[in-house]
Amino acid sequence: MLNKLNKIPKYWLFQGLGWTLFTGINIFFALTYNLFDQQFVLRISLYVVVGFFMSHFMRLVIKRIGLLQKNLNLQLIGFVLVSFAFAVLIGTIETYTSMLLNLEYKEEARFELLQKITSNMFTSFIYLFIWNCIYFIYHYVSESRKNQVDNLQLEALVKSLELKTIKSHINPHFIFNALNSIRALIDEDPSRARQAVTGLSNILRSSMQSDQLEIITLKKELDIVKDYLALELIRFEDRLKVIYQIEEETLDHPIPPMMLQTLVENAIKHGIGKQVEGGQITIATNEDEGFYTLRVINSGILEMQDGHEGFGLQSTSNRLSLIFGDRALFSITQTDAKQVEAKVIIPLNLI
Amino acid sequence: MRKTAVIIDDERLARNELKKMLVDYPEIEVVGEAANVDEAHRIIEELNPELIFLDIQMPVKTGFDLLEELERVPIVVFTTAHDEYALKAFEVNALDYLLKPIDPKRLSDAIQKLMFQDDRDLQVNEARSENRNFLSDLDQVFVKDGEKCWFVKLAEIRLFESVGNYARVFFGSNKPLILKSLNSLEERLDSKTFFRANRKHIVNLRMIEKVEPFFNGGLLLEIKGGEKIEVSRRQAVRFKEMMSL
Repeated sequence: MLNKLNKIPKYWLFQGLGWTLFTGINIFFALTYNLFDQQFVLRISLYVVVGFFMSHFMRLVIKRIGLLQKNLNLQLIGFVLVSFAFAVLIGTIETYTSMLLNLEYKEEARFELLQKITSNMFTSFIYLFIWNCIYFIYHYVSESRKNQVDNLQLEALVKSLELKTIKSHINPHFIFNALNSIRALIDEDPSRARQAVTGLSNILRSSMQSDQLEIITLKKELDIVKDYLALELIRFEDRLKVIYQIEEETLDHPIPPMMLQTLVENAIKHGIGKQVEGGQITIATNEDEGFYTLRVINSGILEMQDGHEGFGLQSTSNRLSLIFGDRALFSITQTDAKQVEAKVIIPLNLI
Repeated sequence: MRKTAVIIDDERLARNELKKMLVDYPEIEVVGEAANVDEAHRIIEELNPELIFLDIQMPVKTGFDLLEELERVPIVVFTTAHDEYALKAFEVNALDYLLKPIDPKRLSDAIQKLMFQDDRDLQVNEARSENRNFLSDLDQVFVKDGEKCWFVKLAEIRLFESVGNYARVFFGSNKPLILKSLNSLEERLDSKTFFRANRKHIVNLRMIEKVEPFFNGGLLLEIKGGEKIEVSRRQAVRFKEMMSL
């Protein structure tokens, strides 16, 4: 039963129900005031038949002029005007038909033609207006619900795109500098040059693969970072010193791919790379109840450009909040005169 | 005709690699190298090379900073890993740049271009060696104004105007500011070409179109770009002396 009902277009359902309700109310009042007779039945039938067909015709007109696509103010004015125009039309038709078919009440017959038309017009304006209100509200509500769904889909799309673009952000400057160093090493230290080629391949491979993953283990991420720092050591030589303080049990913990890498790259670019004598970089992890902490400490001075963070830092906090919501934390601070610390706190139970 | 060159790069391996590549070109003699801008500044002042190979991204100061600091800018070949965007700042200038790792073919093209340029500037080099303290007509200066950069030959400059601690440099349709006082410029410019017209202006004598008498015994100079510069009475006497020679 319900299935069958669902197959009827919504419009006809509303149209049918509406006019049935209209008839019902009229019969109810006719019975209460003792006006229910043959003439009333004929008269109400005329009203319903004319109203049913004319309102359908009105819908065709509304669709034809594309009223629902106009802006809100135009729509409201349009609906009132359409209601009025059709009220005039229906009022005239009803008056003439009831005169021709001799369906007029005795009291009515005394009035002038124009008065009869006006009176019929007035009543039909009221129900046409109600009809239009329902029509408008129905479309308004379904439209805004559709917008909501569209918005949600769009947001989801943006989110996944954002994750993709910020994930695979490896600095081309680094790649070309590394290649240049390797080229020089080929004569100077061939075995080190071979190692460097392997390291660079690992970095490029994992940066490509990171597109497909949202989370990897710290151990895997650390492998990339080690390869990366080995290459930077070739470039910086004695201007760079690297210290690892990794707690064994944190190695299997989750991390968004390339996140530690981004922080280390930033530490090199803005910290070590900006000092003539170079500096030191420390990567440390430790585990706590329900979360673990990751620290990248480098020599240098924290520079905030007019209060807003650079792209790397911005994307780090964006990624964390996209994946972990507000349960992850990211901060970067000047811990003493010559040292900057980037800290990430990541929750351990993901769901 | 050998050219002396200095290599400036913060990475030892990068400097070595370039030196190794330059061994094939006896016309280029690498006389020095530097790992940062301050070191480079010292070495350039001391050795006065004709050519520098310059990396852009270096610690503390960039290659552009170095060029701004230099009084006389040698011929510059930029070497950079991935900075095409920074080089886009240059408008019309005949500058060359090499992307690291350097393609031997590109290096050979760049050097050929240098040697061709060298033939044209031969007399200038001779003139230069006579008096090293003065900047000659074909010496170039580096001018940076916000995002835009130029290498400008002194002969192309028609006017310097004093604006506080800065000097406005007029050439072509550009008039950027440089952080140099008019007095320090006057000391370095060749007085045969550049003339101090008044407290606020130094004009290039070769760029003067018209000279008119001005009241109070002064002169009014009209320069090629359309600027009109007043010559004070005292300077007008000197101007007449120079021109009558």
